[in-house]
Amino acid sequence: MTASVAAAPGGTAGAALSVLPVVLRRALGWADAHRAGFVLPEDVLEPHTEVNRTLKPLGELAQLCSTISRSTAPHTPEHATANDLITFAWDQVHAGDLLLELLRGEPFAAYPYEIYAAFAGFGLRNECFERLAGTLSATRGWAHTEQHANRELGLINSERRVGTAPHTDAGDVLARTWLGGLSEPWMFEGPSGYALTHTVFHITDWCCVPERMPADIDAYLRAWLPPWIDGCLESRQWDLTGELLAVAAALPGPPPTDLLDAAWPALATAQAPSGAVPETGPTASPAETAQAASSGGADPDPYPFLACYHSTLVTAFAAALSLKRLTTHPAETAAADTGAAV
Amino acid sequence: MHDLATEVVLALRSGDHLATVCGAAGIDEDNRTGIAAVRVIGADLLLPSVLHGHHPHPGDIAVLHRAVREFPPRPDASDAAVWSHWGMMSALHRTASATAPGADEPNAAWLEGAPWQAFTHQLSVLAPLAVPAASSAVHRAATHRVVDLSRGFVRAVRRRNWLQAAGAGRWLAALEGRPDSLGLDRGLDFVELMGGTDPRVALHVRAARLMAEGRAR
Repeated sequence: MTASVAAAPGGTAGAALSVLPVVLRRALGWADAHRAGFVLPEDVLEPHTEVNRTLKPLGELAQLCSTISRSTAPHTPEHATANDLITFAWDQVHAGDLLLELLRGEPFAAYPYEIYAAFAGFGLRNECFERLAGTLSATRGWAHTEQHANRELGLINSERRVGTAPHTDAGDVLARTWLGGLSEPWMFEGPSGYALTHTVFHITDWCCVPERMPADIDAYLRAWLPPWIDGCLESRQWDLTGELLAVAAALPGPPPTDLLDAAWPALATAQAPSGAVPETGPTASPAETAQAASSGGADPDPYPFLACYHSTLVTAFAAALSLKRLTTHPAETAAADTGAAV
Repeated sequence: MHDLATEVVLALRSGDHLATVCGAAGIDEDNRTGIAAVRVIGADLLLPSVLHGHHPHPGDIAVLHRAVREFPPRPDASDAAVWSHWGMMSALHRTASATAPGADEPNAAWLEGAPWQAFTHQLSVLAPLAVPAASSAVHRAATHRVVDLSRGFVRAVRRRNWLQAAGAGRWLAALEGRPDSLGLDRGLDFVELMGGTDPRVALHVRAARLMAEGRAR
């Protein structure tokens, strides 16, 4: 199977809107049906437990569902599911008490703060966590934590969400990122791709505040997202495609409808009937999926949780954002796709 | 064809006004295999004289005439092949000898609606039409879709399709209005260093540089 923008190059008008509701419903439905995969184990705070298999997926569930909740209309089933999943995640961290224990175990690490910020941005707070974190985040050591520029933007956004003063100016940090440098677009590849999507997520508060994106970066992204997404679809990098589509839906001003119409039907082909979207590569055939389901667990699931939870959540996140932008900015001008100025 | 493209590149580099591309490649009017190769190179046979601003060698003109006559587009020829043939006639028409009649332009409407990926592919095939002061419907279509062509350049580099990247880059060097962030100059250097063992890549990159220098003057 080759799903590529090149195979359906221009996209037809309305093509994105014709697939997005189903893609969103299925992807979110998969996450809802796989809550067990997000449940934290008893030994979550033990040193031998891998954060990437426990707190990271749970934090991402809270983070991405927070944007889905903000992007969907109240009283819709998707809005309710997203809110339920955030409540579920907050219960898993014992209303923040577990994150406080995590912080007490690693007081000088940033990640407990970043996970906490995913909840705080949604209005879920823990006073004791904030008292300890507030003290630590006022130190010189915190302000001089050595890390990649896009990660530092993540910390600045977390500080905003928690309500503390950012430890440094976001504009200076943005200028040091691959995206902020308006890098030559033909140098795009996986690592720079993920760096740039996260730069956008952090400067726009996970795509909820597009107006924070500077005009030169807006024009740069409008110019170059089409060839990047085309390439990711051609090489079946579904996870990065989803992140780039979220970026496309986070541009201030009118949405790039031609791009969304070309790319969404192609990404939709990677989604299994269960709603799962693999990170990369070929999707399982219906026969393989049915075989695994009927074997009662004897056959491996062609969509194992850890291999597709992220790409599936990202697909739901990007779909909710795209739906919102396309339905609140219908029939926009062609100028949205040109990106001519940069 | 490989040898012929190499000779064009050498002539582009030297700027020698006495250079004969066909003579250097051992091709004369009676060499049918050589003339078939000229048909593939097309109007770029005369590119060194066009870009260096001197008269083409009479031997090269004669061979190009022969190629135009002997390899007309077939009835089922692609639009790109028809345009390539027109490009050869147009190049001859612009020479001082002007012994070839100017031909009517083929249809270019098929380019207008092409998606940017296919548009770039077709324009790259038609890169010999990207020469200074030679307007055509293809040139006008390219002028209207510079951002699309820039996207196609990015796509071609990422797919390691050096020939397509070089052809698209040559068009971009001839046009106004590409996004500055494209970084075309460094991009062309990269394409040449990665894919320049193919003399057709080297030809387009060299042509792009000469056109950019000409525009800067």
